[in-house]
Amino acid sequence: MDATLRALNRFGLGARRGERQKIGDGRQWLRAQLDGGPPSLAPPDGVTATAIGDALRAVRMGGQGNDQERRQARRHVVEMSQAEMHAALTARITTERPFVERLVAFWSNHLCVSTGSKIIVAPLAGSYEREVIRAHVLGRFEDMVLASAKHPAMLVYLDNFQSIGPTSRGAGAGQRNNGQRRGLNENYARELLELHTLGVNGGYTQQDVQELAKILTGWTINGLNGPGARLQPANQPRRRGAPRQAARRDPDGPIEFAFIDLLHEPGTKTVLGQRYSQGGIEEGERAIRALCRHPSTAQFIATKLVTHFVSDEPPAAAVDRVARVFRSTDGDLKAVARALVDDPEAWREDARKFRTPQDWFVAVLRALGASDASPNAPVVLRQLRQPVWSPAAPKGFGDALQEWADPDSLLNRGELARTIAKQPAMRALDPQSLADVVDVPASNPLHAMLADTSIAAPERIALAVAGPAFQWR
Amino acid sequence: MKRRDFVRTMCYGGIATFGLPVVNFAQVQQNGRFVFILLRGGFDGLAALVPYGDPDYRALRGSFAYNASDLTTLDDTFGLAPGLSPLRALWDANQLAVVHAMAIPHRTRSHFDGQAILETGLDRPAGSADGWLNRLLQVMSGTRSGIAIAAGMPLSLTGSYQVESWSPTQLGSVDDAFLERLAVLYRSDATLQNRFEAALQQQELVGEEPMARGNARRGGITPLMQAAAKILRQEHGPNIAAMEFSGWDTHANQGMAGGALDRLLGQLAEGLVAFRNDMGTAWQNTTLVIMTEFGRTARPNGTRGTDHGTAGAGFVLGPRLAKSAIVADWPGLSSNALFEGRDLKPTLDTRAVLKAAIAGAFDLTPAQLDRVFPNSATIRAVPGLMA
Repeated sequence: MDATLRALNRFGLGARRGERQKIGDGRQWLRAQLDGGPPSLAPPDGVTATAIGDALRAVRMGGQGNDQERRQARRHVVEMSQAEMHAALTARITTERPFVERLVAFWSNHLCVSTGSKIIVAPLAGSYEREVIRAHVLGRFEDMVLASAKHPAMLVYLDNFQSIGPTSRGAGAGQRNNGQRRGLNENYARELLELHTLGVNGGYTQQDVQELAKILTGWTINGLNGPGARLQPANQPRRRGAPRQAARRDPDGPIEFAFIDLLHEPGTKTVLGQRYSQGGIEEGERAIRALCRHPSTAQFIATKLVTHFVSDEPPAAAVDRVARVFRSTDGDLKAVARALVDDPEAWREDARKFRTPQDWFVAVLRALGASDASPNAPVVLRQLRQPVWSPAAPKGFGDALQEWADPDSLLNRGELARTIAKQPAMRALDPQSLADVVDVPASNPLHAMLADTSIAAPERIALAVAGPAFQWR
Repeated sequence: MKRRDFVRTMCYGGIATFGLPVVNFAQVQQNGRFVFILLRGGFDGLAALVPYGDPDYRALRGSFAYNASDLTTLDDTFGLAPGLSPLRALWDANQLAVVHAMAIPHRTRSHFDGQAILETGLDRPAGSADGWLNRLLQVMSGTRSGIAIAAGMPLSLTGSYQVESWSPTQLGSVDDAFLERLAVLYRSDATLQNRFEAALQQQELVGEEPMARGNARRGGITPLMQAAAKILRQEHGPNIAAMEFSGWDTHANQGMAGGALDRLLGQLAEGLVAFRNDMGTAWQNTTLVIMTEFGRTARPNGTRGTDHGTAGAGFVLGPRLAKSAIVADWPGLSSNALFEGRDLKPTLDTRAVLKAAIAGAFDLTPAQLDRVFPNSATIRAVPGLMA
């Protein structure tokens, strides 16, 4: 494959027409994108922390509101969620730094939340990507994981917000109305080890999971009726030097992170041989940083990155090189991304990746020059089986050929390509100009089809992006 | 060119050979068909398979209590809800087992966690786990292939074994000329060529009008079950299918006979009967299991519905059952018998039912079953369920 096109497709999000001639050296073009600072993205109009908090409280009124009010509140939540998805997709379609946006999508999926899991997560997924992923995608891995651990979307998605130290002073306050007592919830601690840092074979035990869960008790949220909501602020002794947010509980404010010392499990905990005690919120912060610096984490992350960028069967040499950079820089994600670009294996002729549905959809719209994700893009991606921020499980979406290239999905792409190509905005598009973004040899029948004016233009456009060459990056 | 001719001339490989090893006709058992249907949302087992004869039933269910005369009674204790009355024919033909007081092995009232446990087949959450149907495909020997007949890819079928899919969604209209040109293009790709041809053949098999994509998209269970029958009744069609239906999370206005839940149960029963009819002779080798992530609270809530509970009901259908039966170690509905004072108590592990059903469908050894369901050595397949 043409190296410039490879830079645009493999590392980027798909070539736009004419871009191949403009970007110069592919590697330089990619490296330059890493130097532009964090890729910020403004929230959609009307989606503020306060609006989200109000809408979610309205949904959770329970028996107090009437059905119509609840339905309306739910609709509002879904609208905010869809607006966030639309904004994120539009960023991918229009970005001038597609390598960085691909990295955002990668890390967002690595530390995924799912809007399909709980209604509370749905409107928060956008701010999660902005505040956790975008803020740190070119920064330090441990800062990203720590931000993730403290974001309400993750705290709710993996239940840590309702995890209570079994012998903590606040344990009694965690009783539900029906008398059922809540206690330790291991979900987040487990996935933090299994999926976010060390990996499932990274060398930890069930005991480590439990101890880590205890360390993370008290990490919860403000703004909803969480387990500590009925605790009066006066009951919460503020530790010397503890962050001020720890002392405030506002059930009507924005939904945000809170550390409640009363719910924190006292005593000494041991994770991977390291002891943690009497540290309050700092126990968890230290533990998460230690997990991020564990050698298994470097290996796990490097394997996943090389698999994503190079091949379903990642070359061991490339994994080792990327892991070494991850370790030697303490998880500097910019240096790690650069190592991927610099790796010779990433440019091998025989390496290629099948485009996931989101990848394909974004690449199509970039190739066709779209300026916006259409409003129904989130729905379309659901139909393609890869809805935005909504994987079926905390492991996120996979990116291997065998997960996505089933027969029906190829046909779906053909159908969708036809629908997109028929839109009025495509009338000005010369089908032959698409030869620029599809990498096929001159002998390939696609060239003749694109030039064959007896075939309607929308059909020729659809053939370019529904054909097999466009399914790969 | 008509689609039919076109497909005939275009397809070299197609669904019969896609992803499959050489067909081995000697292994008759492998011609079995197994369908796992997940009712997402937690369906109310006490409203579907009604324990009308339990002495505590009326007091507990209050306004949700059925009279025996409303039900298709199966014995002195249990009856099928009004909507499920079409299943009577299957019961009479010894092709219906109703399972009760069954739950996943991990206690949770979260849809997400409950579905994950049911679909991964594990006894505790593990975010990186594959689906148990995918592990079944890995563990089975001989001819086999799996298909998701659903709008999404159910977690139960995800994993390293390549599976197919058929979705009721239609993303645009394509004509034969377009597909023919696309097929020409796909011939230049050795990896994708067979897959695309299989897609064309699959589409031809199910047909586009009027039953399949159009109606199924509008949410009907029956059209989707009929599409499933068209795919599964093929001699060399997939032998494992995952399906899913939602709408069972009845927190409010659940209703009684003719109400929201009962109408949904009616659609399910009609869909199952249509599936049986459309499978034709292939029905003889077909087994279906219907499960949900959890049951619901035993008592009605304040909004004329029920909330997330624990044990619930499920169904096993097909001619390979030993006989029609109620499979339940019934815990009773007295206050003391309820789990945490509010839910039907679990006395049967979902994996015990699944192990029995797939062993009956595919002749698997206990060792194979334990590979499909890790850490389940102590969970025995329900004895005597399957012939």
